[in-house]
Amino acid sequence: MLYPDTVESVVLVHQPRFVATMFAAALVVFTVFNLTGTTMGELMRPVIGEPLQSGFYGRFAIALVIAALFCLNIVLIGFASLKIQIAIVWIELLLVFLAFFQTFHLSLPFIEQKLPFLIAQGLVTTVYVSAISIAIASLIAILGAVAKLSTNGFAYAIASFYTSFFRGLPLLMQVYLIYLGLPQLGIIIDAVPAGILALSLCYGAYMTEIFRSGIQSIDRGQWEASRSIGFGFGLTMRKIILPQALPVIIPPTGNQFISMLKDSSLVSVIGVWELMFLARTLGQKTFQHMEMLISAAMLYWIMSICLELIQSRIERHYARSKVR
Amino acid sequence: MNTFARLTAAAASIAISFAALPAYAGAVLDRVLDAKTLKVATDASWAPQSFMNDKNEMDGFDIDVAKEIGKRLGVGVEFVTPGWDIITAGNWQGRWDMHVGSMTPTRERAKIFDFPAVYYYTPAAVAVHKDSLAITLIDLDGKVVGTTATSTFEAYAKQELTLDAAGAPAFEYAFKPKEVKSYANSTTAFDDLRLGDGVRVDAVVSSLPSIRDAIKAGYPIKQVGDPVFYEPLAVAIEHGDKELNDKIAEAIKAMQSDGTLSKLSEKWYGVDYTVVK
Amino acid sequence: MSAETIIDVRNVSKWYGAFQVLTDINLKVRKGERIVICGPSGSGKSTLIRCFNRLEAHQEGEIVVNGINLHAKMRNVSDVRRNVGMVFQHFNLFPHMTVLMNCMVGPMWISGVPEAEARARALKYLERVRIPEQANKFPVQLSGGQQQRVAIARSLCMQPAVMLFDEPTSALDPEMVSEVLETMTALAKDGMTMVCVTHEMGFARAVADRVIFMNGGQIVEEATPDEFFTSPKHERTQVFLSQILKH
Repeated sequence: MLYPDTVESVVLVHQPRFVATMFAAALVVFTVFNLTGTTMGELMRPVIGEPLQSGFYGRFAIALVIAALFCLNIVLIGFASLKIQIAIVWIELLLVFLAFFQTFHLSLPFIEQKLPFLIAQGLVTTVYVSAISIAIASLIAILGAVAKLSTNGFAYAIASFYTSFFRGLPLLMQVYLIYLGLPQLGIIIDAVPAGILALSLCYGAYMTEIFRSGIQSIDRGQWEASRSIGFGFGLTMRKIILPQALPVIIPPTGNQFISMLKDSSLVSVIGVWELMFLARTLGQKTFQHMEMLISAAMLYWIMSICLELIQSRIERHYARSKVR
Repeated sequence: MNTFARLTAAAASIAISFAALPAYAGAVLDRVLDAKTLKVATDASWAPQSFMNDKNEMDGFDIDVAKEIGKRLGVGVEFVTPGWDIITAGNWQGRWDMHVGSMTPTRERAKIFDFPAVYYYTPAAVAVHKDSLAITLIDLDGKVVGTTATSTFEAYAKQELTLDAAGAPAFEYAFKPKEVKSYANSTTAFDDLRLGDGVRVDAVVSSLPSIRDAIKAGYPIKQVGDPVFYEPLAVAIEHGDKELNDKIAEAIKAMQSDGTLSKLSEKWYGVDYTVVK
Repeated sequence: MSAETIIDVRNVSKWYGAFQVLTDINLKVRKGERIVICGPSGSGKSTLIRCFNRLEAHQEGEIVVNGINLHAKMRNVSDVRRNVGMVFQHFNLFPHMTVLMNCMVGPMWISGVPEAEARARALKYLERVRIPEQANKFPVQLSGGQQQRVAIARSLCMQPAVMLFDEPTSALDPEMVSEVLETMTALAKDGMTMVCVTHEMGFARAVADRVIFMNGGQIVEEATPDEFFTSPKHERTQVFLSQILKH
């Protein structure tokens, strides 16, 4: 929280100097980009005549209009309440992105036709590979964190070697090592288990550090109180320390999950038909890969948003014992 | 001997016995016939050889050839789609039995793989932007040329191509580019070419079928000159199973003589690529 | 003496690295006894009582609690700890559990008491420390004095043979000290065996059977409250008392 002062500062977007600067910047930017060939040029036809022949005058006129609209927009938003401001800016940024995607001239029927398969095969695979991996990674992380904090030299050595090794190697390399390397030892595993193993080991290493710092954040007094009642190590860890460490652990773990969701695309190299693999494959034949890539991008984004929502719910749940 | 040492020894002996499994002749063929399925590795984004069709199933020339081989062996066919480098790394460990994915049978690859049969030849050709002034290949001397990284097209553009495969037709270098840009796949190269004549590249060396597909998909590009070389493409299996090798060779030969292979080529390319012109 | 010895400390010494914190301590705590340990900060008094349930290790001498000898390789430390209640300076309640749960977990998970019975027991002791109405709140919602009383109830729920108090009032706001001391006094009246490290001399005078004064890791003086406050023998004790009772 950036605790705001009780004395209000002048609203930035209502300062003439700021608005003037933004206006000038927008004017320059949109003059540099030639927008005469776009819808904007068509709209301006009554003023600038044939858009494509209007030359610099046309470009300048268009830029002037856009800059004026832009400044009017931010000044007006400045008057709104916080919640409305957030909503409007979100919607506007979204519209800008949609306009950007519009320029690709995407074939919507194609997306519509492929989307069910993209979801049923790709998204589902991505989600279940990530979900299983994050579960295994969490278990590894607890063991790793305990080992790293223990006074047992053997456990510490193994855990620190593990985190160092798997954090130090690119994930793609680990995928290859596990898929191509394990068969050398006579262990032949399929692409999906190999991918899950690689993701679990890699993220387990990162999460070991998260769990370690979570456990370390708990006051020594909690250990002493727990021990003085007679709880042994296991009970103390399970019932006293970990539950308190969770609020510290969950936000970075949520981040890890979101990033794993996207890193799981690396297992496409060993032929797992997850979202990224299909996105690169489905549009190939008809050269409509932009359609598929953007659809996949949107699906990844939607999944991330869902995870963010779940994460904030869990955080709110744990905030319960902190409310006075 | 303490427990740890005993466990290690046990683990090691198990590992060795596993590793030794696929070593006898005919093993792969036996496995295929037992399971009644032939597992075929191929690419999923290499249209029109192999790609996902409207029904989201694998389709294409390579796929049809693989299915036909399966049919003639009396088994079903299943496709897996690992990355190209995973396939060419060898050491398949029974994850799949055969590769039908337009592999050029080079001498280097022959160290790892057997090539039972060449089943078609891809003409490699040169594409330029439709606004390009190039009329013949000579006009591309000193220009920037895009290709797929580590492909024979790249080797050709860099004038380093050795076609040492059995039955590879002779060729000559038609032009000498100033710079060769390598892309992860041919689509990206075409994407750069479509930006305009000479914006990022002046020409792209790729397979004639994929150039034709790009043109069909509305890319503003055109073929210039004749095909620059013909690349023989073969079915690949791992060393050590002569029986499987012979069976596949036999199947391909039969497909050639009864016209099946030519028909498939006509279906997918509109041309018969199974013989060198 | 007739009463049974609960804590027996014989020739105990302890070091932190090269620094000696306890030197040759001898002390017996008998059933029903109330002992107050006082002394300047750094005198080793907290360290000493933390040795009684082996939150700290001693290097020399013997500590026998409830007939069990405490040492590094003991396998039954939990048997000692469940019988020795401890109240900390900073309460150390479990913040993720309600007040009621704080009191229930020990009996449930250590003594195997069924949940319903543990709940009844928890409510009984919360009643005894006079905050049954806070049972379903979380510790952060309570005042310091209330939290410390919950901590006392949590220890009592284990029905310990002895209660150790490690400066239970020194982290409290002045107006909350008395509510905790009252609770402790009531406990003493009920016959609980108690060892209290505290600077509350009024409490010591009213409740203690013996007052022990520590300085520099040693027991300097051991006396009844009357003797201790009226005619301290040792010079160091006199200085300490004059400073602490000045205001």
